[in-house]
Amino acid sequence: MIRRLIAHHRYMREHRWTHAHLSDYIDEGLDSGHTARVQDHVGICPDCHRVLATLRRTLEGLRALRTEPSPGVAGGVIERLRKAP
Amino acid sequence: MRRAGPEQEAALVERAQEGDRAAFEELARRHADRLYAVVLRFVADPEQAQEVTQEAFLRAWRGIGRFQARSRFFTWLYRIGINEAKRHAARRPPVEVVSLDDEPIPEAPDWSEAPETRADQAELRGVLERAIRGLPIEYRAPIVLRDVEGLSTREAAEVMDLGEAAFKSRLHRARLAVRRTLDEYFLEVGP
Repeated sequence: MIRRLIAHHRYMREHRWTHAHLSDYIDEGLDSGHTARVQDHVGICPDCHRVLATLRRTLEGLRALRTEPSPGVAGGVIERLRKAP
Repeated sequence: MRRAGPEQEAALVERAQEGDRAAFEELARRHADRLYAVVLRFVADPEQAQEVTQEAFLRAWRGIGRFQARSRFFTWLYRIGINEAKRHAARRPPVEVVSLDDEPIPEAPDWSEAPETRADQAELRGVLERAIRGLPIEYRAPIVLRDVEGLSTREAAEVMDLGEAAFKSRLHRARLAVRRTLDEYFLEVGP
């Protein structure tokens, strides 16, 4: 019983830590030890596995929102600058 | 954003600081379109975004003497643009706010492998646009700068005048909130 409680406590600690570091993991901002820590937990936690996979897909969608340059904008800015006292 | 070499840009900034309007106009040509794209995420419509972008450049021109070369010109300019956009946004009634609750919805499907038709992509784009717009500005800015506009973490943190750790924490919360919005969407329509 105590062993099971300790194991659950460890699991939840890793769960919270992993959840808080998924962006750093995706952005490759973790050192090798912490990267392995995320990978170990994601390997056994279906929730974190799903959040990681859907977070990656979310970021793909966000990157695709970048719009094409709007070439007319600079002209308006320059005109305004020239009119300013 | 057209990224000129840092030396070339530094020379233009230096000339602008000496009062050379043509040098500042060249800086405007290089950065106006991307600043406009950022501002557009904070204001109601393209017309207002034009106005805010112009106002930001005017403020930058008037304050160019205070610019210090320890930061990049465009990060300084973006900060002015976002502050100007915030002032405009504060005058408007708030839009529907996205919850910053970052807990995954337990029964939500795994939509990471969901196939996308062109129509799905357009709808998903709309869901993402609304989710970003629903974030409080302090959380919207990191996601716009880092994930949509593609600035590095260091550059985006500099624009927001935050340390990298604080910036990353906000970015992560914002990303999770947007991801959760998609959980809600796929829970409704199915993956």
